[in-house]
Amino acid sequence: MPHHIDLYLKHDSPLHRLDTRAKSLALAGFVTAALVAPASPAWPLLGLCAMLASTAFLGRVPARVVAQRLLPLALVIGAPFLLSLLGGESTRAAGGSFAARSLLVAGAFLVLVAVTRAVDLLETISSYRILRGLGSLGEFILRGASLLLEEVIRTNRAWALRAPGARAAKRVAALTAASVSLVGRAAARSDRVGAAMVLRGFDGTLLAPPPRPLPLAEIGLGTAFALACLLIAGLGRWA
Amino acid sequence: MGVAPALLVERLSYTHSGGQRALDGVSFSIAPGERVALLGPNGAGKSTLLWCLVGVLRGEGKVIVDGIELVPGKEAAVRRKLGLAFSEPDDQLFMPTIKRDIAFGPRAAGDSPEQANRKMLLAAAQVGLDPRLLERAPHELSSGERRRAAVAAILTLEPTALALDEPTNSLDAPGRQALSQTLARLTCAQLIATHDLEFVRPLCARALVLADGKLVADESTAALMEDHDWLVERGLAVPPLGEP
Amino acid sequence: MPNTDPLARARELSLAGLLGALGLLLPVGFHALGWAGKVFLPMHLPIVVAGFLLAPSTAASLGFVVPLLSAVLTGMPPLAPPIAPLMAVELAAKATVISVVYRRLRLPLWVALLLGIVVDWIVLALAAVAAADFFAIAVPPTTYLWGVIALSVPGTIIQIVAAPAAVAGIERRLPSLVPARKSNPASPRSASEDDEP
Repeated sequence: MPHHIDLYLKHDSPLHRLDTRAKSLALAGFVTAALVAPASPAWPLLGLCAMLASTAFLGRVPARVVAQRLLPLALVIGAPFLLSLLGGESTRAAGGSFAARSLLVAGAFLVLVAVTRAVDLLETISSYRILRGLGSLGEFILRGASLLLEEVIRTNRAWALRAPGARAAKRVAALTAASVSLVGRAAARSDRVGAAMVLRGFDGTLLAPPPRPLPLAEIGLGTAFALACLLIAGLGRWA
Repeated sequence: MGVAPALLVERLSYTHSGGQRALDGVSFSIAPGERVALLGPNGAGKSTLLWCLVGVLRGEGKVIVDGIELVPGKEAAVRRKLGLAFSEPDDQLFMPTIKRDIAFGPRAAGDSPEQANRKMLLAAAQVGLDPRLLERAPHELSSGERRRAAVAAILTLEPTALALDEPTNSLDAPGRQALSQTLARLTCAQLIATHDLEFVRPLCARALVLADGKLVADESTAALMEDHDWLVERGLAVPPLGEP
Repeated sequence: MPNTDPLARARELSLAGLLGALGLLLPVGFHALGWAGKVFLPMHLPIVVAGFLLAPSTAASLGFVVPLLSAVLTGMPPLAPPIAPLMAVELAAKATVISVVYRRLRLPLWVALLLGIVVDWIVLALAAVAAADFFAIAVPPTTYLWGVIALSVPGTIIQIVAAPAAVAGIERRLPSLVPARKSNPASPRSASEDDEP
């Protein structure tokens, strides 16, 4: 079991090297475009799909991986879409639009986290004062996740869930008991970590991450991508 | 005129909330730059003593670090002078990356990001941490690397004295050797709490021995190691195979 | 604004981080068994426990952040359709209510838990109605809501059984987390109670 929970794919690609702020700008533009693009004609959504596919290619994110990671959404997105097919033309159109936009937005986030380390993403969020509390909390959660993953690996009950032939009820009971035990150990650990923070001078104030220089060229690239997506959506609306 | 001790402890006692006496009148001092081993079997009170020195546990008695007495209101000043490395480095590495963790202390003390970065790089070099590891998350480092990162995180505060709790826990032989070399290079006073006699033998000329919360010995490490029967009696060594 | 005890604040942040981590990991574990998250509500249990142990503002932040962070890091719950944002509002409200009722009003644990569950359903209904028009969701919000409540009965039962046990166990080990009761003002009081604007 990996000691990290995110979906980062360790490669060396232009997208991996691109500044997180630039990637976030591009994502914001793409998501906005996906939500405002008209359902009819279809070409704006297809255009955005092409933009997403080329981004995934640039980031060396295999199509197979994107498909695998979108599979869990099949029920959540597919069910409303299938239901809409039973309705009239407008309901079918709405269902199709809903499914397409959902896939585009989900796909965009999947590509982002495949090419961006979670620590970098959260550090970027924490660097903005208004989001510092939430970003810092996210950082503590991420660190906690790696610690707990190591504990789960060591916990006998977690491995018991992999016992072949174990009945579902027994496995769920074991998982519930393991969760309660983990919560108790997490609380005890938090005591020590809290002491460690205070011993190093923590006074209750969340610190901003160290400032990073703003790479204007990269920000420009991200902005250009966002504008291109919005242009596609806008042209579709005005056409 | 004698030099003021880096750490002075006078009649330190601590009782757990359940009534169990964990420390009973412990007194000792450590000179600047001196390395002292704090020995004792599990449950002797070593960790409790260290937690009392930094004020996380409030004992009775006196603790004076580099001339600053540990009294209410002075905890932060004492903690800047006396750094404590936990037995479990994961409890001390709480930031997303090693770089930010090591720089946490100076940033919390009000240093600018540039100053903190300089101190961070210096401390990392002091403990022999590969600069390529600085951008990584703690879980991406080995046990030995995490241990050294935790020590570096304390060194950025430029303490007068360093206390380490069971520093060789979960370290393999190369890791122990690397840590030993790191500690040997440091010039601050050190108090190394451990039951690992082989680790402290080359590092510490002097050893304190705790048993049931009491200080039962304060002498040269070499002399202590010669009396094997005494070490066995104190739970610090085991009898040779075949003997009861 | 009163000063916050740094040690209490540090403990609270660290505990919030670890409980939030459980909120990320438990759903992964349940999904690995093939059970849908909506049946056993694995993300809810740590957030409910957080409501009992943390100050209202921290509990609310945790409830809000965990679904969104999970969505970004693991892809579930999905951001589109907006299940993750709905859960963020839902869990933030649930954790806040539990924390206020248990830690501020000092009412019994069962009262806080049941109120939290009810408020969860109400907020979910309101959020689903608000999101339906904006995101052009094809399923009527009431259908969605009843479906979610019906499916989540096992998860709600788990919360009712496991959360009090977890909270009691943690409070036994860490008495500093127990809020003082009106009937026993000498009980240890969490310094995090001061961390309120």
